[in-house]
Amino acid sequence: MRKILLQRLLQAVLMAWSVGTLTFVITRSLPGDMAYKIAAGRYGDDAVSTSAANAVAEELGLHRSAFEHYVSWMTDLASLDLGTSLVTGAPIVVELQNQLSYTLVLAGLAILVSALIAFPLGIYSGIRSARKSENSPKSRASLFDKTALAFSTFVRSQPVFCLGLILIFIFALELNWLPVAGSSGFVYTILPVMTLGLSLAAISNRVIRNSTVSAVQSGYFHFAKIKGLSAFEAFKCHAFPNIVTPALAFMGIQLIGLIEGVIMIESLFAWPGIGHGLSHAVFARDITMLQGTALLMGILFVLVNTLVDLSQYALDPRVRENRGYSQ
Amino acid sequence: MSQYIAIDHLSIYAQNTVIVEDLSLNLDQGETLTILGETGAGKSLLAQAIMGDLPPTLRATGKVVVNGIDILRAKRRDYEQFWGRDIVMLPQEPWHALSPMMKIRQQVAEVFQFALGKSKRAARLSADQQLSSLALENDFDKVPSQLSGGMAQRVAFACASATNAPLFLADEPTKGLDAGRKHHIIEQLKQKANDGTLLTITHDVSVAEALGGKCMVLKNGKLVETGDTRKILSSPSSNYTKALIASAPQHWTATTKKAHRFAPLLSVNDLTILRGNHTLFTGLSFSLGEGEIVGLCGDSGSGKTSLGDALLGLLPYQGNIAFHTLLHRYQTLKLYQDPPSSFADHTTLKSLIDDVIKLHKVSKKRADLLSSQLGLNQQLFERSASEVSGGELQRIALLRALLLKPKLLIADEPTSRLDPITSKAITHLLVDQCREENCTVLFISHDRTQLEKVCDRVIDLQTLTTSKAVI
Amino acid sequence: MNTFAISVEKVIGISLLTLLLLLALGEPVLLGTNGNQQNLKQVLEAPSAQHWLGTDQFGRDMLARISEGLRISLSLAALSVLSSSIIGMLTGVIAAWCRGWVDTTLNFIANTILALPGLVLILLFAALVPGSFIMLYLAISLVLSVEYFRLVRAITLPVVTGPALENSALMGFPKRYLFIMHIWPPIRQDVLSLAAFGASSSIIAMASVGFVYVGLKPPSPELGLMIVELFPYYHEAPWLLAQPIFALFVLVLGFHLLSAKSDKTPRLNKFIFESSSRLSKSNVMERKL
Repeated sequence: MRKILLQRLLQAVLMAWSVGTLTFVITRSLPGDMAYKIAAGRYGDDAVSTSAANAVAEELGLHRSAFEHYVSWMTDLASLDLGTSLVTGAPIVVELQNQLSYTLVLAGLAILVSALIAFPLGIYSGIRSARKSENSPKSRASLFDKTALAFSTFVRSQPVFCLGLILIFIFALELNWLPVAGSSGFVYTILPVMTLGLSLAAISNRVIRNSTVSAVQSGYFHFAKIKGLSAFEAFKCHAFPNIVTPALAFMGIQLIGLIEGVIMIESLFAWPGIGHGLSHAVFARDITMLQGTALLMGILFVLVNTLVDLSQYALDPRVRENRGYSQ
Repeated sequence: MSQYIAIDHLSIYAQNTVIVEDLSLNLDQGETLTILGETGAGKSLLAQAIMGDLPPTLRATGKVVVNGIDILRAKRRDYEQFWGRDIVMLPQEPWHALSPMMKIRQQVAEVFQFALGKSKRAARLSADQQLSSLALENDFDKVPSQLSGGMAQRVAFACASATNAPLFLADEPTKGLDAGRKHHIIEQLKQKANDGTLLTITHDVSVAEALGGKCMVLKNGKLVETGDTRKILSSPSSNYTKALIASAPQHWTATTKKAHRFAPLLSVNDLTILRGNHTLFTGLSFSLGEGEIVGLCGDSGSGKTSLGDALLGLLPYQGNIAFHTLLHRYQTLKLYQDPPSSFADHTTLKSLIDDVIKLHKVSKKRADLLSSQLGLNQQLFERSASEVSGGELQRIALLRALLLKPKLLIADEPTSRLDPITSKAITHLLVDQCREENCTVLFISHDRTQLEKVCDRVIDLQTLTTSKAVI
Repeated sequence: MNTFAISVEKVIGISLLTLLLLLALGEPVLLGTNGNQQNLKQVLEAPSAQHWLGTDQFGRDMLARISEGLRISLSLAALSVLSSSIIGMLTGVIAAWCRGWVDTTLNFIANTILALPGLVLILLFAALVPGSFIMLYLAISLVLSVEYFRLVRAITLPVVTGPALENSALMGFPKRYLFIMHIWPPIRQDVLSLAAFGASSSIIAMASVGFVYVGLKPPSPELGLMIVELFPYYHEAPWLLAQPIFALFVLVLGFHLLSAKSDKTPRLNKFIFESSSRLSKSNVMERKL
């Protein structure tokens, strides 16, 4: 238990260090007169003067030596001073707080929707295909299972923003049921949440289906029936826990992947979360914002990893046993 | 007495090949039957047919009547309701039969709860009793991954016997168990035999001997002979049964031991081996003579394999291991417990053998001589390691080792995964060839009887050291 | 041993990719239209004999642009997969074989890179030199290399500690033999699947950064970028928007089918599960079964 937390803490520190160093390298090595370009981004092209560019360069510490600059970067980072946005001038921490709440709503709803789709679909197609192979192994896989597979393959074979576009075409542009993009109300959450939820479910339903098949065909499920449990009792007591535990772990991992998914989806649906913020920061070369967002995403990433570890620790007795050599 | 099991001309096919051929048997209530045979004899399929649990890929003809139900024709639901209460099977691999995430107490308790309809509390109490009677009172809250093979076997036994079903099937109950644990499970099965009908499947003659009752010998899906166990074992009529009986180590004829003094090959002094933070053994001292065949026995987990690896320089150790002559790396070799895993599988055996011949410039004559002495023919070499049987592969492993004229051969349970008849043949081949080559052998096995029959001397790791065996 | 039995999925995957490759390479040879040639008199045209796939908002030939877009995606995929597999395999084998401090060091580096979501890393690189193909290639290769490293190390570790290699080593075979005989064969089994997996990951990653406008810059006909650029013309010319989306879909589908799971490689499947959370994907759907 302590080992998990220590391991993750170390990872968080590593992550902060690598983000800090990477953004440092970026600021030092951006091509062209980047202070000039940033100043242009901030004040508009025609209002750029040499003095404005100098001010930006000063802010970024470009006049200082690389080493001195690096040390002050790291000390600022260590004291969690993320600076102010180069574009809006607002403190990074405040900007991120606003964005984060939007992202968390989106991510939370998406994972919920995906669970609602994936569990019934996965377990049902797992049972169907296991039963099918039990009765007549040579025959084709269950039709239901095949349909589920086709759905999953279709959804997975495109970047998440394409799926989002398709949903926009259908529900916003053709049927006119939902707004295309924005963030002012519940109706605006429906499309982005559906996109993310569907894309998550496309994968997790197959994972759940596979663990259902292997649980139903396992030696312990079989022995449970031989011991005298009915098929339902055996499923409830023996198959189900062994389906749900790995599925939850997998959905945790998906939640990590969601950090990447939100970058695309928030940009597509103009949803003002951290993903949207990040792509804008890259576009506008808002270096401090970029650093802050990357740092926040890294922290979320480590945090979710830790939660997954802890939930597995709580749910699966084997993990408690084998902690020694995991990872 | 009613007929409990009546099998009439049962044949089982996989596609068009026959796996079990025209088998009939009758078992009355209270009788004990042991089905004896090697791998591929179709023993387990017979048990599955009785349970109504044949894999759906197989086709069965004939008639299997258990407890008045025609299993092959009845609906699955009709006989599944007998599982647990009327008929129960002790699975071959207890580890896989236990739920990986559930505490063992619950796994036993649920039988009382669901199969016998006891209350949750009562079921728990009964489970505790059941487990305590099998010396598992300190392990209620463990999950299967925390159990040793012997403990898992006992938990499975507790589950299977909870309902006191009148018909008890046991599929290879002693597979992979140490002598002590084997004895223990046989005692439990005897108990079952007294209480009801017992059907045991085994390759081990000593299990049949201990259980008594009736016995059936199967070979390649066919009945070889059947009758009273004692009678069959004392005066077998078929050659196969004779060979099977002779293959049990206690029936081997002891080889002549060399009593003279050996020139010393290596001395081990005050050896300690750690695995992680755990001490396997400390203060071990012994020596091996040149050309001596030494047996090494001990329970599983006592560090037999680690000792062998330390002698080969594969493991770190504390203490002193001294060779009295200077040896090349390739003169100290090892035979592995699981032959397939010690061969590269993507190429032919011939190329693997030729690589050794080329690397060490072995003469063709010697290679041919050795392979004929080991009873290997060239056609076999055209296959890959996974395409030959375990016994054949172990011979080839021996051939590859002997080509290098080794001075020390560590044989790490080389026959424990083989069928008894093959195991006997390989053991003798190994010992005879190494004697001829004047190669020292450290023969590791958990079966002391086997070692005593063929080795010049047997070392018991437990009595020799102050080791604490890990269970 | 029969590794030549190819599944239906793989056949379809190979056919789809071959078609796209023909389109990517055939167009410049046979027609040779310049995809950057603007013609403001012929904007947003429907497919015709002159412009088989129509023209975009600047009157550029869509067939030429799609073809070039495919060339960009495929060459990025090929380059990234090639370099990351070489780096990943070398480091993976070295780490597993040498163990000790070499393994510790390489693992430390891998974990440091893994501490950041893959797409974030790629975005940071993209910010370094905006609109640079080389930068995208480096970033994607870096992220993929770590995945190769982890897989190859995981495959090699049990082999290095296993009896077969130990047996050969005892018999005095040199390291080169041990590698060819024992380590390379199990890695080889997974190479194709992994390459296809890496290819689809890198294609999606590039399209994603293109889509959020921080990848390649206009007028480059990168598929993701084309999708954003054509989006405003959805009502006038939906067929135009459909083209890059469809091309991207078929491309990724082809690689997906090629890397389709087989029951023979449970280890690979498990790996792909776990790794995809961090892989350079802009999206969550890239995770495979």
